[in-house]
Amino acid sequence: MSTTRRGPNPALLVLTYVGLIVLCGIVLYPVMLVCKKAFEPGSQFALSASPVPTAVTLDHFRELFTTRGGGGELLFLRHAANSIVVALLTTVVGVSLSCTAAYALSRFKFPGRKTGLTMFLVVQMFPATLLLLPLYVILNKLGLLNSIAGLVLVYSTTAIPFCVWTLKGYFDSLPRELEEAARIDGASPWMIFRKIILPLSRPALSVTALFSFMTAWNEFIMASTFMTNQTKYTLPVLIQSSVTEFSADWGLFAAGAVVTSVPVMIAFYVLQKYLVGGLTAGAVKG
Amino acid sequence: MITVVRQLRDFAFGAALAILIATVAFVAVRNKELAARQIDLATRAASEVAAARGPLPSVDAGLVSQPSPSVKRPYLRVRHVYRHGACRQLTASGGVNDKLFYDAINRAERTGVFAELVRDGSGRAIAVTSSEVMTSCGATEPTPMWAVAVTAPARPAPYPFLVIIGLLGLGIALSAAGALLSGADGRAARAGTVVGIAVLAIPCVLWQAWVATIAIVLVGGSLALLQRAQLTDRLATGIRIHRTALGFLAPAAISMIVLVAAPFVIGLVLGFYDHHHGTWTFVGLHNFGEILSGGGRPLDDPLNFWFILGVTVLWTVANVAFHVTIGVALALLLSRPWLRAKGVWRMLFILPWAVPNYITALIWKGMFTGEYGAVNSLLEAAGLDGVSWFSSWATSFSANVITNTWLGFPFMMVVALGALESIPKELYEAASVDGASAWQRFRHITMPHLRPALGPAVALGSIWTFNMFNVIYLVSAGQPGGATNILVTDAYRWAFERGERYGMAAAYATIIFGILLLWTVFGTRIVRSKEPS
Repeated sequence: MSTTRRGPNPALLVLTYVGLIVLCGIVLYPVMLVCKKAFEPGSQFALSASPVPTAVTLDHFRELFTTRGGGGELLFLRHAANSIVVALLTTVVGVSLSCTAAYALSRFKFPGRKTGLTMFLVVQMFPATLLLLPLYVILNKLGLLNSIAGLVLVYSTTAIPFCVWTLKGYFDSLPRELEEAARIDGASPWMIFRKIILPLSRPALSVTALFSFMTAWNEFIMASTFMTNQTKYTLPVLIQSSVTEFSADWGLFAAGAVVTSVPVMIAFYVLQKYLVGGLTAGAVKG
Repeated sequence: MITVVRQLRDFAFGAALAILIATVAFVAVRNKELAARQIDLATRAASEVAAARGPLPSVDAGLVSQPSPSVKRPYLRVRHVYRHGACRQLTASGGVNDKLFYDAINRAERTGVFAELVRDGSGRAIAVTSSEVMTSCGATEPTPMWAVAVTAPARPAPYPFLVIIGLLGLGIALSAAGALLSGADGRAARAGTVVGIAVLAIPCVLWQAWVATIAIVLVGGSLALLQRAQLTDRLATGIRIHRTALGFLAPAAISMIVLVAAPFVIGLVLGFYDHHHGTWTFVGLHNFGEILSGGGRPLDDPLNFWFILGVTVLWTVANVAFHVTIGVALALLLSRPWLRAKGVWRMLFILPWAVPNYITALIWKGMFTGEYGAVNSLLEAAGLDGVSWFSSWATSFSANVITNTWLGFPFMMVVALGALESIPKELYEAASVDGASAWQRFRHITMPHLRPALGPAVALGSIWTFNMFNVIYLVSAGQPGGATNILVTDAYRWAFERGERYGMAAAYATIIFGILLLWTVFGTRIVRSKEPS
């Protein structure tokens, strides 16, 4: 365009930067407020609009890490442990189930392949909230409410469709010659998958693993519905329960929010390039 | 010989189904039988005691007095139990069933006599009746008493493994015999299949589970029909040819069927039931009728389905419009060739997407709440009056939209940036050489390249927004008076906040599913039809 050669019009340049800075302010403001609240004494949310704390204290973090539950256990550490166990198990189950399925969908022709792909796409679009009630009724009947296993199973199925689509896209891009060579050398399909495909797919596998982990780590409504026993809460439930309508301790909330979000935000920045690809690839091809 | 193998393969498939059906029937029947037996025993024992006869063996029964003031602490009201010829006070530490007795009598005084299973899964039943017997137990003069009986715990009958295995053997023999006797037309083989499977229905006949009996016989019949059409052979061949692919696919497919398809079907079925205090009653289409007719409420009532649907549509349209406008505008700004530090800007603007959305929602909730909330403080600093955000529909709805716009635009921005990067620079150069204005370049080069990427993103984004439970539930929580609920949050409230109306919630979920299905089928078609072919 003309501006590329002549450089931008100075007025446009100033306007663009001013616009970007204002928008950036709007984007950063809530995040800064929370960081401020995490370090500022008091449990009110904000008595001033300024994002700079008036005094700095670590009390909220101390309280977060030292609050004990009815059984004398450290609540935050217990909930963090629950969250980590749930998220890790979800990752293992989700990735191991979806990588074989993605390989089948990428490499084999069989009747029902197209239907299978569409099903994974449709399931990804329809939210788990719709399955919440039947799952609740089933888990209740089976006595699996308040169980980590129930939550892991539910989260894995939420993560599987995305993982399948992402991994299938990656497998499609791998050259088939390697597999053909291995097959002529007498390798079984399973051996080809394990010794050739999986090692080559490390980047895609780590992306889907991170995604599964984030899915489980960030989920709030299922966890708060299925987990009624305080010792079984995950971090999102703990954080939400610190600011109910009846007793809101925003300082504690902010400290908890900072501690839980920072790891997933780092993960997100690593992932985001692949996230968009995976999400829209499914929508475009379906 | 090969026909016998084939016959047994088909039989194995049918038998697995039949045994599954029989097992379900067994569980249902044995629980019902057990409950009926235990409740009957408790009722009889209670009336025996009430008539001042001796208690039945293995049943803990007694007469319980009206409440009377405690001797030591007159403000407490205690009850006495008269059993085995002795009278003593019911206490928490007194006896095995004291607490059960006390609670049962209180309930009987409130709602009348009853007999039911104790709700602790022990298989005990409890019955309460009023008694004509007057004793002076726990009172200074004879008063009428309640009769209570609690049966001993009971476990249902064990699963009849031996019977099933025996019948399975018989079935195998019969179907194999059919195959051996059968001529070229295979009629005897099919008869063997039907009889072999039907044998497995015998226990269901004995349990008087007629539905299960018919289902098993139908399994046998349809299996024979499949054999006749040689469908079983073709299926087996197909599985053999594609066994590697199916083996790879099976773990994920099975888990999806168990955890998505099964709950989905159960959800559909629950929509036809009404749930009240732990009991389910079949009500047909009543729930759907109540929802779709608005439950007799006026159209502007926040519980009327059509009102909620309107709010949901408005919510979706408003958000997606903001997401796309802001996202595309930012992407255009960030794709200026002369802009410095593009990577940094991009990272900053993606930030809202990185924050877990329940945390975003709670932050904004905090910012909107209260007279001195951050948003109101900002408004006052700008010389405007503060607003009580959650007390009127418009402001409450706006608060939700603002929150969701903040967290949702980065997705559209990233999609648009990707599309803009793929536009060849030469197109713009050629256009400006031809004298096209900035608007014309945008209209005829940028827009057509954005559309194919934005179409699917809008389709996906609209579904996400339609189902954005967390923002509505955590920011406005439906205030004021449920008027800002969307369909998914209202369905949740039917299930978990309005007296466990599970049936209504399930019917709601079904309707939501229908709407989403229509939107994905027709909506994506509309989005696509706008694309240049």
